[in-house]
Amino acid sequence: MTLIYQGITLVVVLLIGWHMLRDRRLTEQLEAALVLLPLILRLLMIK
Amino acid sequence: MSSDSATKQARGKEDPGGSGRAPETTRGFGNRWTALGLLGMTAVIVFLVSLEFREMWRDPPIYPGPGVTGQGQLSDYFPGIEDTAADTDVYFLEGEEAGGTALVLGGTHPNEPASSVTAITMLENAVVTRGRLIVVPRAAHSGFTATDPQEGYPQFYRIETPTGTRRFRYGGRGINPIHQWPDPVIYVNGSGQQLAGPEVRNLNRSYPGDPDGYLTERLAYAIVEMIRQEEIDLSIDLHEASPEYPVINAMVAHEDAMDLAVEAALLLEFEEIQIAVEPSPENLRGLSHREWGDATDTKAILMESANPIQGRLRGATNEALIVEGADPYYQRAAEMGLLYVPFGEEGSPIEERVGRHIQSVATLLEVLSFHNPDRAITVDGLPGFGEVMEKGLGPFLAPPHD
Repeated sequence: MTLIYQGITLVVVLLIGWHMLRDRRLTEQLEAALVLLPLILRLLMIK
Repeated sequence: MSSDSATKQARGKEDPGGSGRAPETTRGFGNRWTALGLLGMTAVIVFLVSLEFREMWRDPPIYPGPGVTGQGQLSDYFPGIEDTAADTDVYFLEGEEAGGTALVLGGTHPNEPASSVTAITMLENAVVTRGRLIVVPRAAHSGFTATDPQEGYPQFYRIETPTGTRRFRYGGRGINPIHQWPDPVIYVNGSGQQLAGPEVRNLNRSYPGDPDGYLTERLAYAIVEMIRQEEIDLSIDLHEASPEYPVINAMVAHEDAMDLAVEAALLLEFEEIQIAVEPSPENLRGLSHREWGDATDTKAILMESANPIQGRLRGATNEALIVEGADPYYQRAAEMGLLYVPFGEEGSPIEERVGRHIQSVATLLEVLSFHNPDRAITVDGLPGFGEVMEKGLGPFLAPPHD
């Protein structure tokens, strides 16, 4: 179950990262960075 | 230029090859380099906050006193929690004379600090001359690794000793969700009680436990197995509750322990400790005072003291509120008659809460020993309530050392 959860989280992290690189709006990139923070912490099972 | 041709020109810029792929957004002050920079910053922030969060994974040291004669793990009683975050230290204080056995369980809810601090203070001071005392200072070990979300709780609090500062973790009410996930929508515990989903991680809703259940249920099962295998006569589960909660400054006793609790409460009056005695409701399942008593031969008692940082009326949520326990909003609530405990300007400091717990445990042991001489448990070295109130808690905690 946890591996599935981490897999889903990884996919979302990659999609957000891809979105950051594609999008030229700085505000959108900043928002994406903020969203990535807790997701990465969760992916690594730190928090 | 017609509007059509302008639109075509703009589209051409976005998708010059006409590939049909999603176009990159062209307007804005960002570019790939800003994105890469932000990704780098994100990585740095993740690294820094990880250090802080991982600091909570380390157990602050406990310095067992001269009375500690042995140490084990809870998984010794049930290997189903071995190598998990739920496994925790168990300390033994055994007297030279044979007698009964008592259990003091601290840290069932790691957001109730007087619970584990009482157990630690006992470990560092108590010397058992007759019988045996088993102390578990961090029953919900995993719960000490994270605080509850959206509460703004501090991760640590400090208590000054005469020669240094002891640091303790302030944890969450339940098992850390990184150790047990996901929560169900409704949790039906082993006794059939229906509870809100997050209660699946609440140790004191999971008794008597399930050897094949959730991690919390396995932890509860291990504790019940310890009570069974060690033939524990008296089991005390230490807690705290918010000052507006009705069951506060109280003992909740299983019917098998009711006489013991009532007599102890009367004796505690002589120590200027007013403590209520509540019967364990028969239809409130999953809690220690009910399930320990039903599942084993132990006399089960749960104790509560008043902890303002858990309450909904609290003001500034910080270390001072944990340790000093003063809060103007609770003081106002007390003036309005909304609380179940007295709450003045001095608040409800941790030395008062721990002192109450220690004195109550000592009195329960005295009463148990008086009525069961062959199962007596005699403990020396424990500070009394008055002593703790006069000197503070620091002198009764070992100074930090390697």
